[in-house]
Amino acid sequence: MIRRREGSSLDLTSLLEQERQIAAVPQSVRGRMLSRAEAALRARECEVAPPPATSSPARIPWAFAAGLVCLAGAAGGAAAYEIVARAHQTATTAVPPAPIASLGDEASPVIDRTVLDRTLGQPEIASPGRSAQPRADLRREELRVLEPARVAVARGEFAKAMRPIAEHARRFKEGRLAEEREALRVKALAGLGRSEEARRAAAAFASRFPRSPLLPVVGQISSARQ
Amino acid sequence: MSHLRLIPQPPSRSSSDVECLDAFQKELNYIHRTFLRLGTAPSEVEDLVQELFLVLRRLWHDYDAERPLRPYLFGIAFRIASSHQRKYAREVKFGVVKVADPRPGPDDVLESNRARALVLEALEQVPLPRRAVLVLHELDQVSVAGVASMLSIPLFTVYSRLRKGRRELDRAIRRILRRGDAG
Repeated sequence: MIRRREGSSLDLTSLLEQERQIAAVPQSVRGRMLSRAEAALRARECEVAPPPATSSPARIPWAFAAGLVCLAGAAGGAAAYEIVARAHQTATTAVPPAPIASLGDEASPVIDRTVLDRTLGQPEIASPGRSAQPRADLRREELRVLEPARVAVARGEFAKAMRPIAEHARRFKEGRLAEEREALRVKALAGLGRSEEARRAAAAFASRFPRSPLLPVVGQISSARQ
Repeated sequence: MSHLRLIPQPPSRSSSDVECLDAFQKELNYIHRTFLRLGTAPSEVEDLVQELFLVLRRLWHDYDAERPLRPYLFGIAFRIASSHQRKYAREVKFGVVKVADPRPGPDDVLESNRARALVLEALEQVPLPRRAVLVLHELDQVSVAGVASMLSIPLFTVYSRLRKGRRELDRAIRRILRRGDAG
């Protein structure tokens, strides 16, 4: 606290004079804010990116070949699906269904999709077509899904944030923005007055991301709202 | 190499976006401080700064580069902070404990940091409409006519808010100092 020095008057004018000098934001905070701004621009670029032109003469043969491959793939897929469906129908009438836990069993020839997706670092519901999608596109997609949650939380519309958070958690459980998503979840729950859930989410966040730079803020929010 | 054309090229960033980001980066310290001066809780400032950037990007094509940028940024910050404050008016504020800057330093630096903290704390006790006028005129040194035009209020209102705001700020500072002396 400021105390008056002997012989000096701490008047309003001199105080305002000192506050006129703009204090520099700490580098870590500055970096975070600039990254977020950059991310917003990238997300917008993704939104406004024009669709690739297909009428160029040089591309026609490739487009034609790609179309043929797609058609062949679709036909093959349909045939395979039909065969598998019939086989499954026969099997289910004869043999009781295997427990779900056995899907992840190493001895089982059936690979648990979730485990595979986690291993590959891909979103859990990525379809076979999307698994070949470049990672950059997935990141943009992640950002696109989560951005409404961040905007809603910033605006204090916490209820509105819950849907994109849930969608991101469903589609990108282990995604690159999982840390940001869980921090937003704590904030949104705290904002909605769901203190107990916020506290639990904050505890889960702390154990999952023990070195997160967002940890102090998350802890502060959950404890302040209790 | 023509097959590579099947892969869409990453879109190039427009010059308007680049200019907007440059301006934002250049004035980031000012924007951050302005939100604090307008009474935004430190834990919320980063979110509001991001919101300001989104608004700035949307309005950037309307911005006249001949005009000074800071008052323009202040106008956006003021509207965002006011709207944020209205939403949070019925909520209990976060129990953020304000601690003095623990970094060691010469007495005058420490004294200066404390003076700034004192001004921020006192400003919080001035109602937002008068606080905005005070910050713009006394800290950003915008002329009275400029304040009137920026906040879309009559000149007379600026003078009266300024007079009353100064009085409230002065009282708030004395109150805080007395509390400190007593503690």
